[in-house]
Amino acid sequence: MIDLARKILLYDKLRFIITVCGVGFAVALVLVQTGLFLGLLDNASITIDHLDAEVWVAAKNTPNIDFARTFSDAYVNRVRSVEGVERADNLIVWFIRMALPNGAQEGVEMYGMERFVEWGMPWQVDEGNLQDLRRGRYVMLDDSATKRCGSFEVGDYREFIGRRMKIIGRTHGALSFTTAPVAFADMQSIQALTPELKGQTTYIVVKLKPGADRQRVIEEIRRRLPYTDVNTREDWSHNSKLYWVTSTGLGLQLACTILLGCMVAIIIVAQTLYSSTMEHLKEFGTIKAIGAGNGHIYGILARQATIAAVCGAVVGGGLTFALQPVMAKLDLKLLIVPGFWLATFVGTLVFSLAAAMISFRQVAKLDPAMVFRT
Amino acid sequence: MTVLQANDIHKEFSEGAETISVLNGVSLSLQQGEIVSLEGPSGSGKTTLLSILGCIMTATSGEVRVEDQAIDADDPILLQETRKQSIGFVFQQYNLIPALTAMENVEYALNIKGMRGAEARAEARRVMEEVGLADKMDSAPRDMSGGQKQRVAIARALAGRSPILLVDEPTANLDSQTADQILELFRRLARSENRAVLVVTHDPKVRNVVDRVLIIRDGRLCN
Repeated sequence: MIDLARKILLYDKLRFIITVCGVGFAVALVLVQTGLFLGLLDNASITIDHLDAEVWVAAKNTPNIDFARTFSDAYVNRVRSVEGVERADNLIVWFIRMALPNGAQEGVEMYGMERFVEWGMPWQVDEGNLQDLRRGRYVMLDDSATKRCGSFEVGDYREFIGRRMKIIGRTHGALSFTTAPVAFADMQSIQALTPELKGQTTYIVVKLKPGADRQRVIEEIRRRLPYTDVNTREDWSHNSKLYWVTSTGLGLQLACTILLGCMVAIIIVAQTLYSSTMEHLKEFGTIKAIGAGNGHIYGILARQATIAAVCGAVVGGGLTFALQPVMAKLDLKLLIVPGFWLATFVGTLVFSLAAAMISFRQVAKLDPAMVFRT
Repeated sequence: MTVLQANDIHKEFSEGAETISVLNGVSLSLQQGEIVSLEGPSGSGKTTLLSILGCIMTATSGEVRVEDQAIDADDPILLQETRKQSIGFVFQQYNLIPALTAMENVEYALNIKGMRGAEARAEARRVMEEVGLADKMDSAPRDMSGGQKQRVAIARALAGRSPILLVDEPTANLDSQTADQILELFRRLARSENRAVLVVTHDPKVRNVVDRVLIIRDGRLCN
């Protein structure tokens, strides 16, 4: 069958290009905004996701990994003795002021453990040896700190709450949703920095024995440490992300962006199809006079909407892909989540078809007798 | 054999509180292989009658029979199917689809009538050759003259072998020489393909090729 929908659409090439660009822009708007948001959100749990622990113990009602509260570091022994636990260690996550060479101060999110290596944390060390952290007042800084703390070299000294610590390494990829630079130090070094951390920890991380029943272990830890929260890694990661989504209004902002993108796509497709339909009314009248029903013409319009949506989605997707390395150069993480992309493409198609409804109405009331009017 | 018959057709339009009577008891019949012209001044009801005979518009009262089947005005599907299977239209403005080539215009009409693929292409080619446009099949309507467009419109109406052709002012936009050729084409088609052709026209030249002349005035057929 002659593909009239495509032929009419391509007959006015300029209009078609403008439509595809418009839909593509709307799709890119949704994908880029969501990708950046997901990239930012990924930072909220990046350390949880990389640390090799299946269970996390935190003080009661700790909202997310960054806003930690303290409890006794001796609790770790109770956890270690739970059946099914292979190893458990304390982890301190604490904001500490760092003095910069220019006299300014910057908040740093300090991660403190006794045995970083066993927990796969930090997961990318560009310079230095993690084992050395235990040998003194040493610290490793993530290279993302450069932005807020200025450039640094391994071997430099910085003051943390008035105490000099030597930078003995540089890590990469350790980020926080708060955008505070992330640093790593031995647990005792951090506890020595501030009295409120003396004999305290903020988390206990737990590695299970192979084949251990995770839920049973969690129940047992909850029984032994009733004033703590015990979460699986997945739940803790999810909760840490959800906190930022719900408490900051970022989720609502994202929803607004998606809504805006959808509206732009609908308006563009609707406007294009409507004006094209109005321009081709006489042709549709002729088709009706020849014997085609409304359904046949709805099919033409629906196919036009589908072509515009698919081409627009491909352009929008391509644009987003092209922007990813550009964003990376600007230190912006643009996450590409296949499921969300698929949902965006399906959404674009559905909204484009919805936009065609306005044209359907024009066609439905089209009187084929118009073909005899000059 | 009678292929199109209208019995006592009345058509009224409402315009606000006023009712305008456009057709007042028109009766006519059209035989296979016959070419008939319908003449009349503007506003006499020619186009309305053509629309009713073509099952595009329904009469207020009266009966239309196409190929001996009474057309139920309340059945839009029957009206649509009758247009599709039994009637070919040639419009004054040609009404070709500019996004399609000449042959595609014909083939698309066949697609609507239910003929697809190679069969539709072969039939489209046949009628294009029939109207003398074998060398213009791939031309776009914008690149064709008025006469050529009219021939494409005729080919579209012929395609699918509808027994009835309803033709609206076929010579209105053509120069004299082209108009003669088109009228000759209609006469030949009526004879060779045994089609019934009704030509609505203002053009007195049409009388030279038709078998009968019907004159309509104030919604009534006159002798």
